[in-house]
Amino acid sequence: MILDRFKLDGKVAIITGGGRGLGRAMAVRFANCGADIVAASRTLDQLNETKALVEAAGRKCLVVPTDVGRSADVNAMVAAAIKEFGRIDVMVNNAGIGEDSFGKPIDQITDDEWRRGIDVNLSSQFFCARAVIPHMLKAGRGKIINVASGYGLRGGKHNYMYACSKGAVLQLTRSLALTYADNNIQTNCIVPGIFPHNEAMMKFFKGGKFIPIGRPGNDEDVGPLAVFLASDASDHINGELIIIDGGGLAGGIVPTGVAPGKPA
Amino acid sequence: MADQKNLPPGLRDYSLAGKAALVVGAEHPVGRVAALTLAEAGANVMLASQDVGADESLKQVAKAAQALGVKAAARTQRASIRADLAATADRAVAELGGLDILVTALDAPLYAPVETIDDSAYDRVMDENFKAVWMALQEIGRVMLQRGGGSIVTITNVMAERGVPNASLYCAAKGAVRNLVRALALEWARRKVRINLLECGWTEEPGSPALEAGEFGERLVKYLPYRRLLKPEEISGALLYLASPASSFVTGEAIAVDGGLLCRV
Repeated sequence: MILDRFKLDGKVAIITGGGRGLGRAMAVRFANCGADIVAASRTLDQLNETKALVEAAGRKCLVVPTDVGRSADVNAMVAAAIKEFGRIDVMVNNAGIGEDSFGKPIDQITDDEWRRGIDVNLSSQFFCARAVIPHMLKAGRGKIINVASGYGLRGGKHNYMYACSKGAVLQLTRSLALTYADNNIQTNCIVPGIFPHNEAMMKFFKGGKFIPIGRPGNDEDVGPLAVFLASDASDHINGELIIIDGGGLAGGIVPTGVAPGKPA
Repeated sequence: MADQKNLPPGLRDYSLAGKAALVVGAEHPVGRVAALTLAEAGANVMLASQDVGADESLKQVAKAAQALGVKAAARTQRASIRADLAATADRAVAELGGLDILVTALDAPLYAPVETIDDSAYDRVMDENFKAVWMALQEIGRVMLQRGGGSIVTITNVMAERGVPNASLYCAAKGAVRNLVRALALEWARRKVRINLLECGWTEEPGSPALEAGEFGERLVKYLPYRRLLKPEEISGALLYLASPASSFVTGEAIAVDGGLLCRV
């Protein structure tokens, strides 16, 4: 039965950035499909809120405060996950930060701002993959889901660290995918468009009116895609970037809302 | 049909219970898988052929779909004839009571050096791979727009993304479909019709050059990341994701089911 192949019963998924936004939405959706969750991020309060939601869905949730930009933290988090559950079926590399430097001219961006962003957005995904792959190799299967951004494929004014780190995530995805294709470990990448998480972001992105489909993304939109990529239903999909952006990257060479020629 | 009542809450977005789906090219292996996947997920299905002479295989697919507990009807037609496609769209609405999902599985490969391709071969390849899809999207898309929305999945292959020697015209036709889908996704985005592509890797199906004895097939299989061809049934997850409300924020996108082949090239 095809719907059964999307089930995550008995699987254990680590989700970084699991305390809020897309990470929390994925955690809850995974739990609703039968998975137990390891939620990792820096902020314990937020992780505990996720834990309550996962438990309300009837699944277990291990909370591990982690700075994913530090490999020692990542290694300890993965060890804690193994100690608790004895397995890791799915690694969701979701943690990420925008720029403290956002909107600053290039000569005002500090080394620390640049390096911290690259650590959290890119190095974290490498550290997590490096830590979970030995366990997946032992199990003979695994799913790695990297979260990038539409800015990994397009440029943005004053957008350096974010665009570069997210673009690199696409390449990390491809190389992991090819390397472990023989080992039944699939690595794929979710490429979200505009997903505002607060009023200020909603205002900055003008309510999403330039998004072809006519609305910005809701965190819940990503859940079914993440479940698909975590499940057996996607076993022949590997190294793939799946853009979930309401059509934005299908176009972009004219402004949204106008078209050449006369309407039908 | 699935036991939809006991579906875990996280899986409900993938369910197609009560929806009406039309599959054009249902006599092909991947079209057949598409039709049965939709039926398994609960959709009532109308099966239309790419070409005449497919009556028997269409009927078998319809029977298999009915065995899953859904309504299934078959209609032999030529996808290269506009009037056939328009009539098929109307029949689907009449027999299924709606039209929520369209899957096109149209394909006509040609592997030959460019200097050997004459105008009649050109017309055949472009008609079957591109114009038929174009007309299906026009005629069936029109009905979806009138009815207030829908989800379209156009099945194609990885040649939509890269070049292959001795497949110039075939690659051109597939590439044309790729960009058609991008443009239509934008044109229809606010009219609630989503359209996406499912790109198969090299597939285990009759007539595939990958299955012929010789250097090409042998070296190709070793080159593939999974070291084997795609089995048609392995597209079912991606097909259901794209066809169902699970992908409601995805349009103009292509999902390759290729084991990672496109990472290599």
